[in-house]
Amino acid sequence: MAVNRASVVDENFIQFVDNLSTRPPELHLDTPLEEMWNGLYGWEIVDMLHTMMQSRHLDIRARELKKSDRSFYTIGSSGHEGNACVAKAMRHTDPAFLHYRSGAFYLQRSKQVDSVSGVFDVLKGIVASTQEPIAGGRHKVFGSVPLNIPPQTSTIASHLPKAVGAAFTIARKNRLQLDKPDDNSIVVCTFGDASSNHSTACGAFNAAALSDYQNLPCPVLFVCEDNGIGISVRTPKNWIEQRFAPNPGLKYFAADGLDILECYRVAQEAVDYVRKTRRPTFLHIKLVRLLGHAGSDVERLYRSQQEIEALEATDPLLKSAHLVHRLGLLTAEEILTMYEQTRTTVQSLAQEAVQHKQIDSAETVVSVLAPIDNDAIRKEATTAPTAEHRERFHNGRLPEKERPRHLAMILNRALGDMLCKHPEMMIFGEDVGQKGGVYHVTADLQSKAGIGRVFNTPLDESAILGLAIGAGQMGMLPVPEIQYLAYLHNAIDQLRGEACSLQFFSQGQFQNPMVVRIAAYAYQKGFGGHFHNANSIASIRDIPGLIIASPSNGHDAAVMLRTCMAAAKTNGLVSVFLEPIALYMTKDLHREKDGLWLSKYPSFEEHISVGEGRICRQGKDITIVSYANGLWMSLRVAERLKEDGIDCTVVDLRWLNPLPEDLIIDMAEHTGKVLIVDECRKTGGMAEPIMALLAERTKNLTIRRVTGWDTYIPLGDAANLVLVQEEDIEHAVRELVQGEQQ
Amino acid sequence: MKRCIVLCPGRGSYSKDSLGGLQGLESTKLNELDALRQSWERPTVREMDNSSKFRSSWHIAGENASILTAGVSATDFDQISEQMDIVGICGNSMGWYTTLGIAGALSIVEMGRLIETMGQYQKGNIIGGQLVYSVVDEHWQVDPQRLQTVCDAIEQTPDLHWSIKLGGQVVLGGTKDALQRAMEVLPTIDGPRPLPFQLPLHSAFHTPLMIETHRQALRDLSNLDMRTPKIPMIDGSGHIWRPKACSAQSLLEYTLGTQVIETYDFTAMIRTALKHFAPDYIILLGPGSNLGGAIGHVLIEERWQGIANKEDFIHRQKTNPFVLAMGRVDQRTQVIN
Repeated sequence: MAVNRASVVDENFIQFVDNLSTRPPELHLDTPLEEMWNGLYGWEIVDMLHTMMQSRHLDIRARELKKSDRSFYTIGSSGHEGNACVAKAMRHTDPAFLHYRSGAFYLQRSKQVDSVSGVFDVLKGIVASTQEPIAGGRHKVFGSVPLNIPPQTSTIASHLPKAVGAAFTIARKNRLQLDKPDDNSIVVCTFGDASSNHSTACGAFNAAALSDYQNLPCPVLFVCEDNGIGISVRTPKNWIEQRFAPNPGLKYFAADGLDILECYRVAQEAVDYVRKTRRPTFLHIKLVRLLGHAGSDVERLYRSQQEIEALEATDPLLKSAHLVHRLGLLTAEEILTMYEQTRTTVQSLAQEAVQHKQIDSAETVVSVLAPIDNDAIRKEATTAPTAEHRERFHNGRLPEKERPRHLAMILNRALGDMLCKHPEMMIFGEDVGQKGGVYHVTADLQSKAGIGRVFNTPLDESAILGLAIGAGQMGMLPVPEIQYLAYLHNAIDQLRGEACSLQFFSQGQFQNPMVVRIAAYAYQKGFGGHFHNANSIASIRDIPGLIIASPSNGHDAAVMLRTCMAAAKTNGLVSVFLEPIALYMTKDLHREKDGLWLSKYPSFEEHISVGEGRICRQGKDITIVSYANGLWMSLRVAERLKEDGIDCTVVDLRWLNPLPEDLIIDMAEHTGKVLIVDECRKTGGMAEPIMALLAERTKNLTIRRVTGWDTYIPLGDAANLVLVQEEDIEHAVRELVQGEQQ
Repeated sequence: MKRCIVLCPGRGSYSKDSLGGLQGLESTKLNELDALRQSWERPTVREMDNSSKFRSSWHIAGENASILTAGVSATDFDQISEQMDIVGICGNSMGWYTTLGIAGALSIVEMGRLIETMGQYQKGNIIGGQLVYSVVDEHWQVDPQRLQTVCDAIEQTPDLHWSIKLGGQVVLGGTKDALQRAMEVLPTIDGPRPLPFQLPLHSAFHTPLMIETHRQALRDLSNLDMRTPKIPMIDGSGHIWRPKACSAQSLLEYTLGTQVIETYDFTAMIRTALKHFAPDYIILLGPGSNLGGAIGHVLIEERWQGIANKEDFIHRQKTNPFVLAMGRVDQRTQVIN
């Protein structure tokens, strides 16, 4: 049977301290508790040792509870307890994005806020208690509102971009005078040595350094907790120093995390440096991983017994106990008493925690994902900026006084109004600044709102979305732009794993409101090929809580943008706003110069609720359900077919999530025949959920679909071979309607 | 050994029912305290306790009531300190001073000096006053409307402050005029002792009105020999002071400053006791037993061990009590075998 290393490490400590009792302390000061070493009072060193013991006993208890299936998480912080030094060097008001081994950091910070019971909260997380204050039993995360610790899963370093975003935003808010001018908070994020290799992490380091290179303040402290191994894969010796010590734009500090005096001194230096200079900084803390990766990990498969024992001999608790004894702060007996009292306290708290209920319904699990308060959204969305503001912002040329405009221009005016209404709104992305975006949707907005609020970013979508998340968490209303839908996929985890999960992991206590604008879909007359004609939306369709807006015309785009902004402002929601590139400049619908695809700028009294579709035309023979380019084509086909006596209903979905389900069903039943025109791919496109909906909730309907092919889009005329064409729609309609007539 | 949190009651706890309670009890702490009183030629705790008759003007007087309360508490503590695993000590209001003494942050002599000096300030010098009110309904659930009424009264009345947050009860402190207005605006709650009820001979403790007391204490008591405690202490903000892991200087500053002029949050203190220590029991030292309900309110608020309302609490107390008041004969026998 495998030896329980937790017991071994536990016994080692007791034995080690017991041996200390035979040795007198090296220092004999009258009042050692009031003496100072490396900036720490004696009593503070004792307090940190206590924190480390709390963290250790939590790990031991989690494994004990697992034996009776009462614990659901055993990844611990043993060997990493020195990270308490970083917490000690910081303020509890500094936002902290924590790694899953930063337990001692969490506990040390919790000692700064009396209302927080750190140990109990962690235990409640381990047993999935509904009373756990941040995730309510949904996950074991380090998170707390009073401690300014937004919850993270942190397993793949995907929390680094938002930490950079939060730091950038602290400085930007100062510049925009949206915060106290003396707010010199800094952001800290912790991660492991293995995680530092993630491209997401590298992107975050790069974004921070690039910001610094341009003299833009970005007060973030990256703390690499280097234990030399990622699960079973060793980090090559000295790799972290080699990689980060010479990193331009990222000042490097190194500390021995097994020596709390030294670690605290360096951590304090690093923290002071970031606070004073507002520059990104890398703190490399060398420590060890004890007790394996998690409770289920058999470390002997990849480490020799000798190696494991050698690591255990370097246990930071041993070294810290020795220090406390050497300085004459505590006797060996006092250290052991503290250790055992901490053990019994953790046990007693665990006993209480296991009595708590776990979540007992799926409805409760999902209830916090993205609650939508339609009344609040309507109220916010239909509130216009003040007339004075608008007059000034639009230089006296109010958009509603303009002639009808195409989608891109209407959207430009709508964004302007939003900037005018929300001083905390920021628009950023590639080329959105002076150029005004590839399609001029953000034209002139930088000159009107200022470079502090409308600005270009580097070519890194993860960094763009990370900035949006961080900015949203810091109280801003970010509107990031992803230049093309295909560019989203390289950064999708920032939406999928981070932005949209925040309300889930925090029960809505932390929010990262945003509206992600994306130039989307195909039909660019053969120009641009795959990357500029992306029609794959599968990756965003199943993200829990994500609102997907897909307007087809200028009017809807303006009103729906206001709705998305209001959803962000009032409910903290995340929306993706898919803008059909091919319709940006489209003016006409049925024939040249009919101007039917132009819109007057809509008044603020108009409102489109989230999930509210539209009946564009109503006929008796067939119902066509579509959106974006597909809608435009469907309306043209419907008009032509009218001449042949085929009377079509055409429904614009407008929202791809949530879908206007009732409207779809009503209109489908109205004609009994449904054609879904889906310009996206056949697999994972929008036809699938609509067909499933109709199959589940209706009877005796005839349903067909026309979709794009499951392929990347080629250049030139070949593009049209794999995209839905008007002929395809017409053919399908005729087949459905006339097939029956025959 | 059972793990317990010990709670020291505040100054108003000694009543005529407490008389004679010390008879037959040995306590080195009490002996030390009485020796000190004797040296000051003041009535000892035992003398006052042995009195055949309860005299309000004598037993409740500021210069006597505090030491009497602390003496009884310290004596009770000596009865249990060997039998229980005392994981933390806390006190209500003046009970904080007792806490310092029995937790070892102050010697008994220094504790006596602190109590005596602070008590002397009260002699003939009552500053404002305190009144008691309730913000819970008959099931001990917080009544949001009543709570709002109290908040409004505080906001709208100059010199009216939260003095003690006492579970479902609140103690407000203020000037005479402020209390008068509070008595008028707070709707009467019927009961054996209708609320709001004004406490006799009490100053507006734990409010900014005590600023002079704080200044005087700094002059007279800055030389107190404060140490870090031997047992963890929880103060009136819910903060934990751990042995050798806290600053004695900060502890002194809190004792002579913060807690004198800022709200004493008993609720936060009990919450900390539960959520940081998970004790088997909370033992309420004598004299008296009237903090049991306030602890019950906090247990209910926290849904501690499934206690969700007054009925749950009463049932639990009858069958397997969580709160053991040494001022009650039936519960005292469960503490002292």
